[in-house]
Amino acid sequence: MQVFGPNELAADVLNKDLCIGCGACTQMCPYLKSYKGKTSMLFSCTRQQGRCHAYCPKAEVDLDELSNFLFGKAYEGSPLGSYEKVMISKAGPKMISGNFQAGGTVSALMTRALQKGQIDAAVLTDWKGLFPIPKLVTRPEDVVPCASSKYLTSPTVSMLNKAQELNYKRLGIVGTPCQLTAVAKIRTNPLKREDFKDTVGLTVGLFCTWTLDARNLVKYLSARGDVEKIKKLDIPPPPSEILIVTTADDEIKIPLSEIRPMIPHSCSICPDMTAEWADVSVGVLEGRPGWNTLIIRTEKGAKLIADAEKSGFLITDRMPKESFEHLLTAAGNKKVRAFRQALKEGCINNADNGHAALRVNPAVIKGMRIEPEEDHVGHT
Amino acid sequence: MKPLKSNPYNLVITGVGGQGNVMASRVIGNMLSILGYRVTIGETFGASQRGGAVRSDLRISEDITFSPQIPKGGAHMIVAMEPAEAIRVLGQLGNPDVQVICNMRPIHSVNVISGEFTYPTEEQHRQWLSELSGRVWFVNTTDEAVKMGNPILSNIMLIGALAGTGDLPLDRSLFETVIAHWLSADKLEKNLAAFDKGMAMTMQ
Amino acid sequence: MSAILKGKKGEQRLLMGNEAIARGALEAGVQVVAGYPGTPSSDIIENLSRVAKDRNMYVEWSVNEKVAAEVAAAGSLAGLRSMCTMKMNGVHVASDFLLHLALSGTRGGMVLVACDDPNAHSSQHEGEMRHFAQMLEIPLLEPGNFQDAKDLIKWAYELSEELRSIIFIRSTTRLSHASGQVILNELPQTERKAVFSYNGFILDQMTGSVITLPIFFKHPQLQEKIKKAEQRFESCPFNSYTGPENPEVLILTSSACNLYSIEAVHLLGLQSRVGILKLATTWPLPKGLIRKHLQKVGLVLVVEEVLPFLEENLKVLAYEMASEIGIKRILGKRDGILPGFGEMSPSLVAGALAKITGAKLDQRPEEYEKKVAERVFFGAPARDWTFCPGCPHRATLWSIENVLQMDHRQGFVCGDVGCYTMGLSPINFGTLKTAHAMGSGTGLAGGFGKLEQFGMEQPVFSVCGDSTFFHSGIPALANAVHHGANMIMVILDNSGTAMTGFQPHPGIEKNAMGDIAKAIDIAKVCEAIGAKVRISDPFEVEKTQEILFQLLEEKGTRVLILKQVCALSPEKKGVKKFEMIVDAKRCLGEECGCNRLCTRIFHCPGLVWDKETKKARIDPILCAGCGVCASICPAKAIQKTPATSGKKEAA
Repeated sequence: MQVFGPNELAADVLNKDLCIGCGACTQMCPYLKSYKGKTSMLFSCTRQQGRCHAYCPKAEVDLDELSNFLFGKAYEGSPLGSYEKVMISKAGPKMISGNFQAGGTVSALMTRALQKGQIDAAVLTDWKGLFPIPKLVTRPEDVVPCASSKYLTSPTVSMLNKAQELNYKRLGIVGTPCQLTAVAKIRTNPLKREDFKDTVGLTVGLFCTWTLDARNLVKYLSARGDVEKIKKLDIPPPPSEILIVTTADDEIKIPLSEIRPMIPHSCSICPDMTAEWADVSVGVLEGRPGWNTLIIRTEKGAKLIADAEKSGFLITDRMPKESFEHLLTAAGNKKVRAFRQALKEGCINNADNGHAALRVNPAVIKGMRIEPEEDHVGHT
Repeated sequence: MKPLKSNPYNLVITGVGGQGNVMASRVIGNMLSILGYRVTIGETFGASQRGGAVRSDLRISEDITFSPQIPKGGAHMIVAMEPAEAIRVLGQLGNPDVQVICNMRPIHSVNVISGEFTYPTEEQHRQWLSELSGRVWFVNTTDEAVKMGNPILSNIMLIGALAGTGDLPLDRSLFETVIAHWLSADKLEKNLAAFDKGMAMTMQ
Repeated sequence: MSAILKGKKGEQRLLMGNEAIARGALEAGVQVVAGYPGTPSSDIIENLSRVAKDRNMYVEWSVNEKVAAEVAAAGSLAGLRSMCTMKMNGVHVASDFLLHLALSGTRGGMVLVACDDPNAHSSQHEGEMRHFAQMLEIPLLEPGNFQDAKDLIKWAYELSEELRSIIFIRSTTRLSHASGQVILNELPQTERKAVFSYNGFILDQMTGSVITLPIFFKHPQLQEKIKKAEQRFESCPFNSYTGPENPEVLILTSSACNLYSIEAVHLLGLQSRVGILKLATTWPLPKGLIRKHLQKVGLVLVVEEVLPFLEENLKVLAYEMASEIGIKRILGKRDGILPGFGEMSPSLVAGALAKITGAKLDQRPEEYEKKVAERVFFGAPARDWTFCPGCPHRATLWSIENVLQMDHRQGFVCGDVGCYTMGLSPINFGTLKTAHAMGSGTGLAGGFGKLEQFGMEQPVFSVCGDSTFFHSGIPALANAVHHGANMIMVILDNSGTAMTGFQPHPGIEKNAMGDIAKAIDIAKVCEAIGAKVRISDPFEVEKTQEILFQLLEEKGTRVLILKQVCALSPEKKGVKKFEMIVDAKRCLGEECGCNRLCTRIFHCPGLVWDKETKKARIDPILCAGCGVCASICPAKAIQKTPATSGKKEAA
């Protein structure tokens, strides 16, 4: 993985509107800070190499290197990434009910992992007013209050940086594909620091096709009334085409056509829908309300699922074939769209000292037969 | 009134805000005024409290009130409280015959501390000061003043060093006459000692 | 007893131009003095306030220049001799009143001393103000050396009382802040009693109401005064000619430019070819004197700062006289032989003279010139101005900069006049984006704060010092509040007019003469105007930033008062609140996670970067012990402990 410094981070990511606000570059120095969903560089830093650049999921992400590190094999570009098994699941009888988006699988897994001591703390995402913020949780009962999809950019990874100072040894982290890309980069110790310790004990990924710029959504909602706190965001399965925002005393329905301009530009070059760098990845199962799609990717993930099921925290089932095919198509399409957009923007596999957002084996891209003229889906 | 080596005789006192530059130029100006010379002192002290360069131009004449600015290349003597400031003044007022008394203790500007600029080594400064002047006295008045208990005495020592060169008709009793107006009696002795120490630094 | 009181008639003193002016005021028997501080004018009142009690004078630092002119005018209207002082900017502030005062006339002698700052050594522009004299139709005098700086004052008072008009005296930085020998005169013993008469005939300037109307009476009366002034100027003892009977070139000059001209002639050895007419009376020009000198010469060089004021007025006269004395060639700024900006210098004037006369100006050897330029480039690194160790402004701007960057909406700060103007410079975080006149930061911010309807989404701040607040910040705040402007005014209250030397202002419990005065509470004033007010200590960095974040969430006109006394204030100088140390083991230095934040970005001169150990350290002599750097150090390596002695080491 090529590592540059803060100047390159500013030039290649911040100034190119590629920052997704994951927080990976923050909580480590006085120069980069996250506030209300935006990451800012406060003052210039002159270092040639820095953790800020090394950890960024939008700068010099070498997909082969991440895949080799996590799964011991090269990146193939398959729609779902590397996995052992795909199934469906929901919270079991041992789980208390909560504000679950679908089946409550994520809350169930984190609760169980904390309870069993597989992790010593969980990095989750909570609300602070209208903005998602990271939250560090050590008690199993504190997991459920953080449940629900945020659909908004969130600096969750910053808590991982902060938690390092606090001496946690096995952190569980729940994150979106971009957030877990940052986590995976962090774990490879890209700067080869001698004092580096991998403190990540478990990663649970969340499916994501795009997210929304938190500030833009808040501005949009604020213009429509007095919004103090978001309780839940939901996009019901097609063909509803709406975002439902549940607040303390209201339910606001927003057509997706009004929402799409709030999708960060950065999402358009993200090839990962199913959070490929996780131990397990979880999504909403379409066509069967109250259930999640569950992808088990690692041995650690498989063990956790088995234990959760055995202990009554999780119920699993086989995935219907048509759902699986639908999943493959959706994930595959996102990948193709992303690589096409990255090619168009010239931020993939840049040669001659050029700086890339993504690096991937050219054969993988070739295999996808991305025709530039097909492009009409690009980000608006 | 003794004839001056040159009419006018152009003396520069330069340093950094807070080094006591203004006081030194006033003391020297008053000493010469007592002797009957026409004296004009031009001061650039806008930045005195803020780490900026501070320069006083002393124009000493037998008969004319000269302007508060020494013309380009027109200095006869530069008394520098800081080596980089000596170089800066030479840029405007230096000439192959100018004499320089330079306290070699550097004061780094914020631009140097921040790493924006590099401060030259003492060796470089010595070499450059030598090649840009007719004669140069390198002195360490800050170090000596610290030994005496107060770094600010460095400016008094430099007045002594100027007197020691014999270029201007300045002496100890004249200094005492002027400084006695400014200081309480208990500080007088230390200032006289500083003057003597400075004088010894340049006397043949 | 102050130095300017010492010395009897006939004694010689080495005085600064401003000290000479102050001594001149004493010798003229001035009783009322008012002004507003501003470099290079402040020392005049500084000196007079010290002797106010001894000389039974009333001296004040007024809230602004207009009020200063009014206070001084009251003295004059009560029959006393009065003076007001200001820097050039102040004349613009005072001009509305002065315009009327010129027309209404004065009674006791009144002199306005205003100091220009060519080259803007301590200003944000170099706009000169001799044109005001012409606009206001009042006589203008300019001292051409140190002796004149003193003696011209008394002459001006006599003229003022003869004309019953205010007299404008203009000095410049190089005269006000330079020193030269001055022979003293005696101090008068008599004092006048203050009485304001108003029962006489309404149009009688000395006994009736003091009014500017009717114009058909008052304006011609004013113009008669100016004519009379011109007559007096013909024989003014401070106008003088030096040079041959029939010079090849005549230099017409005034102020410090007189000294440069003398020196330029000396440098080129042109004493037998070039004459200098030094004018102390620069408006209206004495026509007879000008004619006398002009008829003997074909070529005139006008040497002045900054604009071609003399030159243009001379050209008008030369045109009027052309049929009698022929057409003269007049050179100066309009033809470009001398620049129309910046200061003059002996070298500049000599250069122009050399061009005109063909005389040769000695140059440094080319080789030396080349070498010295190179050595200066490498050997004398720049010394940018920065905030002093322990300066509250550094902490304030640090907090604002951090908050604005994190806020990420391209918020900006409108600056104002004071030390904090240095916040424009990148070395001081470059937080300020505008800087104009006194109080303009808040006026501008109030304007920006009304641009929402045109799509402006950027948060707007203004910063304003405590003295500036009273000077002209209050109307700007009232305007913003009244119109509901979206802006945050940050008042930097460091308890004094710090930049010019701690002159008191209405927020201080002391006046210029050292007496107890009623202090006006800035927070209460802002609240009474209707602004929401918060108060914090800028040294409490975290708390201040939290308040700033809160303020950014709110709408309307908001005020944050940041109170912390200037590090150079007499009460604070030498007193350390904390002993600071750097724990070298914790210091990250250039490592990722810090990269020398304290010495590379924060830039307090009390922090030193040790190149050898690659660690930061505290310079115990420079450090003022404010403790702020402890809160910015990401590694908690900079640590503070309460200072035991409370006194800084002897420095």
